Amino acid sequence: MKRNQVISAIIAVVFIILPLVVTSDYYRHLAILALMWVVIGGSWNLLAGYTGQISFGHAIFFGTGAYTAGILADKLGTSAWLGMALGGFTAVLAGLVIGFICFRLRGPYFALATIAAGEICRLIAVNWESLTNGMVGVLLIQTFRSKLPYYYVALALAAASLLVFNLVMKSKWGFYFVSIREDQDAAESLGINAALYKNLSLAISAFFTGTAGAFYMNYMAFIDPEVVFSLPYISIMAILVAIIGGVATIWGPAVGALIMVGIQETFRSAIFGLAPKWVSQSHALVFGLMVIFVILYLANGVVGDWPKIKRLVVRSR
Amino acid sequence: MTVFFQTLVSGILIGGIYALIGMGMTLIMGVMGIINLAHGQLMMVAMYITFVAYTFFHLDPYLSLFVAMPCLFFLGVAIQKFLLNPLMEVETIIPQNQVLMTVGIAIVLTEIARFIFSSTYRSVTTSYTGKVFFLGGISFNVAMTVAFLFAVTLTIVLFWFLLKTDLGRSIRATAQDKEAAILMGVNSRRITIITYGLGAALVASAGSLLIPIFYLFPDIGRPFTTKAFVITILGGMGSTVGAIFGGLTLGIAESMGATYIGMSYKEMVGLIIFLLVLIFLPGGLKRLTKV
Amino acid sequence: MTSFLQILLVGVALATFLAPGPATAQDAIKVGIVLPLTGDQAKFGEIEKLSFYLALEEINAAGGIKGKKLQFLFADDTGNPEVGRTVMEKLIKKDKVVMLGGGYASAVTYAMAGVAQQNRIPFLINTGSADVITEKGYDYIFRLNPTVSDYTSGLESFLTAVVKPKNVVILHESSLFGAEGAKAFKNTCEKLGIKVLMVEGYEGWFRAFDFQPLLMRVKQANPDLVYMISYLRDATLLMQLAREMKLTPKLFVGGAAGFTLPEFAQEAGKAAEKVISVTLWHQSLPIPGAREYFDKFKATYQRDTEYHGAEAYAAAYVMTDVLKRAKSLAPEDIKQALKETDMQTVFGPVKFVSYGKMTNQNRLNTYVVQWQEGKLRLIWPADLAQAKYVYPVDWLKEWGFK
Repeated sequence: MKRNQVISAIIAVVFIILPLVVTSDYYRHLAILALMWVVIGGSWNLLAGYTGQISFGHAIFFGTGAYTAGILADKLGTSAWLGMALGGFTAVLAGLVIGFICFRLRGPYFALATIAAGEICRLIAVNWESLTNGMVGVLLIQTFRSKLPYYYVALALAAASLLVFNLVMKSKWGFYFVSIREDQDAAESLGINAALYKNLSLAISAFFTGTAGAFYMNYMAFIDPEVVFSLPYISIMAILVAIIGGVATIWGPAVGALIMVGIQETFRSAIFGLAPKWVSQSHALVFGLMVIFVILYLANGVVGDWPKIKRLVVRSR
Repeated sequence: MTVFFQTLVSGILIGGIYALIGMGMTLIMGVMGIINLAHGQLMMVAMYITFVAYTFFHLDPYLSLFVAMPCLFFLGVAIQKFLLNPLMEVETIIPQNQVLMTVGIAIVLTEIARFIFSSTYRSVTTSYTGKVFFLGGISFNVAMTVAFLFAVTLTIVLFWFLLKTDLGRSIRATAQDKEAAILMGVNSRRITIITYGLGAALVASAGSLLIPIFYLFPDIGRPFTTKAFVITILGGMGSTVGAIFGGLTLGIAESMGATYIGMSYKEMVGLIIFLLVLIFLPGGLKRLTKV
Repeated sequence: MTSFLQILLVGVALATFLAPGPATAQDAIKVGIVLPLTGDQAKFGEIEKLSFYLALEEINAAGGIKGKKLQFLFADDTGNPEVGRTVMEKLIKKDKVVMLGGGYASAVTYAMAGVAQQNRIPFLINTGSADVITEKGYDYIFRLNPTVSDYTSGLESFLTAVVKPKNVVILHESSLFGAEGAKAFKNTCEKLGIKVLMVEGYEGWFRAFDFQPLLMRVKQANPDLVYMISYLRDATLLMQLAREMKLTPKLFVGGAAGFTLPEFAQEAGKAAEKVISVTLWHQSLPIPGAREYFDKFKATYQRDTEYHGAEAYAAAYVMTDVLKRAKSLAPEDIKQALKETDMQTVFGPVKFVSYGKMTNQNRLNTYVVQWQEGKLRLIWPADLAQAKYVYPVDWLKEWGFK
């Protein structure tokens, strides 16, 4: 327990100092993206990893949050940071609607329903032009020219999310979540209100994903439906971040986010410009190959399968 | 009234192709119990095969059917054998990791296509591309009509296969009740492999049939993956008859939506029907007919 | 043990972030040009890139800029706004370009304009035409080409003087360019007293069969005029199907973009014949250098060019002029020089003015062309026309049914 706190403190200090050491905008940008994915991956993990509701639609919350911030700033001229404060709450509202519809279904049907719901949200954003500007998207000018403020906002968000997930999972709620995942009928027969706790898990998950979405709007200053409601690049990416790091572990998704963004960008920059240009064009291919590799050989992620990795390494020596 | 029938005809013709796509998916879903999120991407691969056959060997797209289908059958067999079946033994917290695997496969197939062919839009312009004939004031797209007739023929062949052959019966048995089928001596591992191959071959045929009508680019798979599982849920998982109705329903609904609501709402119509079915009629159209 | 792993992995991730990026050379004046070089709109990107390249060779052969060579760094936006923003970011941050050019599809150009403004790097747009791009008050954004609502200014007099249509159907691709263009033309029609029977946007252009019910509805509406705002494939498909379905209004008019590209006539064949389009430029216009550019392009690349190419070619010369006049290569000085631009190009006079909601916008006339015997001919305004317009048109005869 104590040792864990020391380690957390060290990690926190490293991350606070990091952007002061790394002055390149490009690498700061990567760090910001990675921190954002820490939040989203962790959120997905709470709902899917711990509560067992495999969502293929986290882009719904991400997009809702992003559009909340964007529309407030673009149409009403408020600060986009107000939107960031509200983005989480609108995402929770969206989450309750989705929960109302999709929680009637279980297992693979739930997953299917979330894919469909995500696609519907994307199409609404495309077609409701008076509100969302449709395919044109929302364009803002960033508040800050430096990456530094964004880095610290992202860091604060990531830290807050990890803290909340940790607290929740140590509380009674966490126990209920896991029992619903293990056997919903048994949990209900023990008097756990499954519908309530599933919605609760969804709400917390949606809140942080939505806030991350609103942050994305502020930071990237441009969104369109294809970007923020994307099935592969938001919903699936959220799953992959969690899986690669380790599902149903607190630190797994955080580690997964660093790995995913790190590897993706390494290939996107063609291994720091050392490899020929075609490597950077095939970074999406590498992403896909990595998914296959991880599911085949590291199904419980790097954190979850650590003993297995260690065994392999030790043996090969 | 002409507009209504025109819309209906367009919807039915594309619905026939959708049915072909849906039948492949529903077989996989029934036997494996998973959704195959690489389904549209398999079709995309078949379309590129057809494109290459046409461009380099001047093979008519309808003849390429007999090249693309076996190719995709073996691709499907390989995917099932080396990527999906091994997952059955892996213990994980996430039961849907086979689904995620199909996502990975989808990305890899798309990116390989992009790597080889770039994002440029390709097309196969045949003598019948863009040709139309009239029947009672309604215009019929020649390529679509031919594709529809092929789809009907293939459906009949598939039904003969499923109903009359031993292998077909084993597949149906596994789809209906896996445990029971295993008890009856069905080699379920072999059946899953053959089924995935068959599903891939079916969607390959749809790809070859669609190429004179669609432009081809690496990302074309994704909307079809979405359609495929909409059809499958509409029809009821594992039900081939259901997939036919699901395909036709989706085709007509999209077409009607485009004409009477607005062309940009077309996709949404399909998805809303899908959600409604999922909520109010779980089990799909199959439940109504008990087929 | 898990915590050791965590630290290790964090370390690995950090190392990934900390590793140095590639170095860049610094001997020529670098300008970034962002165009769609792959994807749906690659044909437009290609004609513009070739024209930029043609101009670049001439500029450097004539001594470059202040003794330095001009260098264009071409980047591919793939027709996707998100990709466009990423490559802009890279050109600015990694390649350290002094200014930016290009910008094809409106939605992409709009998204990219935000990046240029954010980083305060001047961006000279030469094609992206949605009004909103220069309506945001961004002071680093300059636009060489007219806005999409001005596209039909040359068409108006042709309609009132020659065609006198009673009603019109407007079909448009539903991205920013098409949607704004359709809205603007609808207003124009209402102003001219032409009844608008139907305005329909479409996005699934790669699905030809969807156009059949649409065109059947147009046929039933029986308009005098069908106005279409389309890129290349949809323009081709719409006209081919219109021919197949024997849809015969008095006139088909295209809103530039796909309808003036040589590929349109090649792919649509007979169905392209006598189709009218708005255009922003034509080689027969009495603009110094216009014909020379057209001929040189044809001699160099063995193919025709049209207004998109002229826009790009002119933009290269505007950049050269600006960079020569700028006090230094600092962004503010380049911006100042852009503001003071007053020159003649093959695309017409260039001067950036602010009017209404617009800032730094070049104003130009537009024209009307018609496909005649497979050639794009300037038919309006009458005093500049290269050929007499063909109207009324016997479509069934043009299409080879009679």
